[in-house]
Amino acid sequence: MITFLVRRFLLAIVTIWLISVASFVIIQLPPGDFVDTYIAQMAASGSQVSAEAANAMRQLYGLDRPMYVQYGKWIVRVVQGDFGESMEWRRPVMEVIGDRLWLTLLLSFAALIITWGLALPIGIYSAVRQYSFGDYAFTLLGFIGIAVPNFLLALGIMYFSFRWFGASVGGLFSAEYTLLPWSLGKVWDLMKHIPLPAVILALGGTAQLVRIMRANLLDELRRPYVVTARAKGLTERRVILKYPVRAALNPFASNIAYLFPYLVSGSVIISIVLGLPTVGPLLVESLISQDMFLAGTIVLLLGVLTVAGTFISDLVLMWVDPRLRRQMD
Amino acid sequence: MTTRRQILGYASAFAAVAPTGEALAQAVSATGSNFNQSGLIGTLESATQVSTIPTSFKESPALAELVKQGKLPPVAQRLPSEPLVLKPLNTVGRYGGTWRRGFIGPSDGENGNRINSSDKLLFWDASGSKIVPSVAKGWEMSKDGKTTTLFLRKGMKWRDGAPFNADDFAFWYEDIYSNKDIVPTPIADMSPNGKPGRLVKIDETTVQFQFDVPYFLFLDMLAGDTLIGGGQSVQQSIGNYFGAYSPGHYLKQFLPKYSSEAAVNKLAKDQGFDNWGRLLAFKKDWELNPDVPTLGPWHTVKPINTPTWTMQRNPYYWVVDTEGNQLPYIDNVVMTLAENLEVVNLRAMAGEYDMQERHIDLQKLPLILDNRDRGNYDVHLDLAFHGADTAIHFNLSYVADPEVAKWLKTADFRRALSLGIDRDQLNQTFWLGLGTPGSVVPAESMPQNPGPEWRNRWSTYDPDRANKMLDALGLTKKDSDGYRLRTDNGQRLVIQVEAVAAMMDYPKQMEMVTQQWRKIGIYGDVKQMERGLAFQRLTANQEQLDVWSNGGSELMYLFPREVLPVDPTEAHLGIEIAKWYTSNGTQGTAPTDPELKRALELYRSASGQKEAERNKTAQEIWKIIVEQQYTIGTVGQSPAQFGVRIVSRKLGNIPSRTCIAQHCRTPGVSHPETWYFKA
Amino acid sequence: MRFPFLRRRSTASAAERYATATQLQLTWWRFRRHRLAMVSLVVLVLAYGMAIMADFLTTMDPHDTNAATSYIAPQGIHWRDDNGAFRPYIYGLKGVRDLKTFKLNYTVDTSRKVYLQFLAHNYRWSVLGFESDLHLVGLRNPQRGDGIYLLGTDQLGRDLWSRLMVATRVSLFIGLTGVSISLFLGIVLGGISAIYGGWVDLIVQRLIEVVRSLPTIPLWLGLAAALPSSWSVTQIYFAITIIISLLAWTDLARVVRGKFLSLKEEDFVLAAELAGASQVRIIFRHMLPSFASHIIAAVSLALPAMIISETSLSFLGLGLRPPAISWGVLLQDAQNIQTLALAPWLLSAAVPVIFVILAFNFLGDGLRDAADPYG
Repeated sequence: MITFLVRRFLLAIVTIWLISVASFVIIQLPPGDFVDTYIAQMAASGSQVSAEAANAMRQLYGLDRPMYVQYGKWIVRVVQGDFGESMEWRRPVMEVIGDRLWLTLLLSFAALIITWGLALPIGIYSAVRQYSFGDYAFTLLGFIGIAVPNFLLALGIMYFSFRWFGASVGGLFSAEYTLLPWSLGKVWDLMKHIPLPAVILALGGTAQLVRIMRANLLDELRRPYVVTARAKGLTERRVILKYPVRAALNPFASNIAYLFPYLVSGSVIISIVLGLPTVGPLLVESLISQDMFLAGTIVLLLGVLTVAGTFISDLVLMWVDPRLRRQMD
Repeated sequence: MTTRRQILGYASAFAAVAPTGEALAQAVSATGSNFNQSGLIGTLESATQVSTIPTSFKESPALAELVKQGKLPPVAQRLPSEPLVLKPLNTVGRYGGTWRRGFIGPSDGENGNRINSSDKLLFWDASGSKIVPSVAKGWEMSKDGKTTTLFLRKGMKWRDGAPFNADDFAFWYEDIYSNKDIVPTPIADMSPNGKPGRLVKIDETTVQFQFDVPYFLFLDMLAGDTLIGGGQSVQQSIGNYFGAYSPGHYLKQFLPKYSSEAAVNKLAKDQGFDNWGRLLAFKKDWELNPDVPTLGPWHTVKPINTPTWTMQRNPYYWVVDTEGNQLPYIDNVVMTLAENLEVVNLRAMAGEYDMQERHIDLQKLPLILDNRDRGNYDVHLDLAFHGADTAIHFNLSYVADPEVAKWLKTADFRRALSLGIDRDQLNQTFWLGLGTPGSVVPAESMPQNPGPEWRNRWSTYDPDRANKMLDALGLTKKDSDGYRLRTDNGQRLVIQVEAVAAMMDYPKQMEMVTQQWRKIGIYGDVKQMERGLAFQRLTANQEQLDVWSNGGSELMYLFPREVLPVDPTEAHLGIEIAKWYTSNGTQGTAPTDPELKRALELYRSASGQKEAERNKTAQEIWKIIVEQQYTIGTVGQSPAQFGVRIVSRKLGNIPSRTCIAQHCRTPGVSHPETWYFKA
Repeated sequence: MRFPFLRRRSTASAAERYATATQLQLTWWRFRRHRLAMVSLVVLVLAYGMAIMADFLTTMDPHDTNAATSYIAPQGIHWRDDNGAFRPYIYGLKGVRDLKTFKLNYTVDTSRKVYLQFLAHNYRWSVLGFESDLHLVGLRNPQRGDGIYLLGTDQLGRDLWSRLMVATRVSLFIGLTGVSISLFLGIVLGGISAIYGGWVDLIVQRLIEVVRSLPTIPLWLGLAAALPSSWSVTQIYFAITIIISLLAWTDLARVVRGKFLSLKEEDFVLAAELAGASQVRIIFRHMLPSFASHIIAAVSLALPAMIISETSLSFLGLGLRPPAISWGVLLQDAQNIQTLALAPWLLSAAVPVIFVILAFNFLGDGLRDAADPYG
């Protein structure tokens, strides 16, 4: 088992490296560079950038060097923990991301908890009470959760909250708390703002998981061992929860891996609509303006999250399903 | 030779409304009768300068407290002996309050630059047509136009208390501008006819710009939003090192000249920068570095690359009101980051900003008006002076497709396309009827407008005539859908129009325009793209038609790039021509169009002409541009750019109408330092 | 797809028919029982039918702009004439901008009736080589600005119903292309991975992982900018769809690989190998059919994902852009505050999106249930 883990770990490193190369190339693909975007932005907001300033910027950021040189310099620094400076923000990349990264993680985590917290019981209920009214209702709701694009949901909710409640919209903090340093009040304010975007984010994933859970549990419930358990006199709750649910948790585990990047990039669209200070909008902005170091680092982070998630999911899978454990050895 | 007294006497003349201002006011009420029904458009006004200096001075309670604690010298010592005295628009205000505003990211520096634009050497009055003193208290131009002298204010100080005088100009000129490591080539502003000028210290409060050729335009350059005259906030932020003065006492420590290259490089590395160049780039930038001394009413305490860009009052600000109160009245400015424009507008409607004109979308006007009571704000509509919020430029140096290039260079083709646009439709749909349809020339009230008949020349809706003109050009064959065919290979003639979703929704507007062009048989292919890509293509001479605003063209010489291809950074009419112009013929391609050549020659000759003659030259240039339709104008003179002003009802001294123009540094020209919170 | 239950009408008993039915027949019979899935199938067939005939169903030119008809709310059709006869008509509209609120207010001009006409002549259209200028419904002698505004108009004065028809066609057919490519790649790569095992399997697995971790949004943005601008918008979108399906094959590949792996151990495969069948024949003749229904189910679940991708990406401005019309483009028009507040009917473009995606999901569910004989 140790050899298996070590091998997977090494492969993970290689995967991450490949991701970094691919991301860097794609980011560079569009013609032009950051300085072009910068000039355009300045022009649109009514100010000038002289040709001398433009050339100086290019030299400053090394944009006049060939791509592999730029990549090489970047990756060497990354490995040492220096992620470079964002050209747009003129601050170290980690500072720019850092402010938002843990907010993104918080939002994703909240969405994850909501997803599981809702999907599990609803899925079980739907399977156990198949074809009941509740089952149909939840199925329908679930499908609507899948079918309605989440940006639409976010947009509508943002508008109605403004219309009906005159609520401060856009953002994870109320106006007064934005400026203040962290305090208990600010944490509470954050907690008040998080549920809405988290629920919107979770809706799509919840619906999927409910269906998967329901389908798999239905499969399991028809197995002979369930009949045996019932015949043996176990309570209904133990019959369901102890074995079938655990077996049906398989797809959950294998889904963890891709839940993280899904939530993070899924939140891009919602964050744009709701104006949330998370990584998502930052990524899109940095890609549009070709802010290489910033965009590259964020994409790398997403890659690392995925690979780590896969790794963890394999471990969880092994823990959850004894059959697989034996297979590994 | 005009005397100093005469020039300083201008100050008192500004108490009355300058003649041009009256003309402007009349012009507004004449054309704006439709608009005035809304009650949202006022008359141009703002605080005015007076020459009487108060004998005693007062300051904000917060500063008075610091004086009591011995941390600041008394206010009389902080002010220059000749401060700028402003008569507030309505009443003397009260101190206090925080001005909340919205910004959209670290590229939105203009948001803060403009409210600090009193740090310019010279500025404009409320109508945007008369030059007034600002940092400099007066000026003098020699009869031959080769020398411009500026008089500074004795005893004026930087915001850290250090003296501000001619040494700061000498420092800028010798140690920054002339340092090839920092500024590789002299700027065009300082080099009329390609001959670099000099900046010389005469005495402690007098500096002089010296040129080898007559340069009468220079005064306007100092007052306008140019590299030399724009002021420290905008001209020494980001990649710029201009603005004519710089805080030498602070920046010296970062220059190799005052220690050694090794020493400053080490200093840079210690602070996390690659070399002294990057260290200096950071240290001189008021948006990023809270320590750098500035002159404006507010200075940065929390920099722009954070979610809240925060500014505090300048304790050494050199402007007072007529009762001797040191300005500004408002203590702090706090800008909160909004992820996108929708959020900015939403927050404005929710009343979360105290005064916001930037990023407010004209299309949302009905909704903004609906929410006035709920958000506790008033709305003012300010009309701009440039002719076209949406200007369609022809690339006259295009070469990639010879057939298309031929038509782009044919005057009748351009005129036909212009006649095929129904501007009233555009005006109603995108400007809510608040614009003025017509050509690209500036407003009739502006001195460079060539005459009212040029508003509609080639700029009405006449598809019949357009069809006839296109037929006469030989584009008679059409395909089954009614689109004209190329003359070289018989395929459909496709004209590419590049549109960026920038100041307005240009792609949507072009959708409507190309639909209208169907009726004259022209197939317009709208290419929506990102800004960076669009500007890159501009530089690579790849675009056929591109769309942008011609804001800034209201005073042609101060911002010519929207008028003529004279600046390679943004050359809508052809990058190769711009290169040819700036390199004096050594690079790029000469224009083949004789009228364009004539326009460029007129432009070149203008810097040596006096104002009246210069304006005549500008009128000639506009006539050429409209007659040849190098740029098609659609709708302009509207509130689309910074013209929808949302102002909290708690603020006082707010003008009913303010100048919307590049050189007015909206909202700078309406003196934010005189605004105050009523309660 | 043939309908096996129509093929023979033998006198064999029901049990016998069941025992001798083909895999496809079995699947179809099971599928029929799933009520919701059957309804969805009908809905989708209808939707694609409408999509093909989109232009015929429009009432006005979806591209024609007109400031005088900007932001009209949905208008009803009046069915009966004053004398009670069935002669549907609409009223003329007059729009005036309120100079205090700047809103465009429309008043119905009851003095002017414009009658509907079935099989009316309007703009010319062509589909699959068939040309016509007939439309199902039109107006008799309309003035400029008259229209049957069932769903209202957008900012540029264009009829939303007509645009929705055209959008449906674009969105539905582009999804099909993308999914076909993903399918092909998934089967090939998943199959190779399972059959050859060892290093090949490892490489494909890693490839799948890398591809799955690439965030799609940067890929789209980069490629959207890199494609030649001389291509038409639709051409560019097809290119991008192809490239995106290069990312979407991973799920199908994993399913295929999993099924192949489990089938490899089956007896009938062993038998085929012993009988001397080639690898290719084994794959396509023996193994593939046994999980064909799984594939169909997976595909019908991948389609809605494609459709949501398109709408989401057009929302970001990266997918189809105007003047092309798709659901995403229509929804992008609605993604601002003034539309939500003053012209909410523009959101009705979301309704067909929801219905079609629901239909595909139910269909996919039904197919999956039907395909799995042990469910």
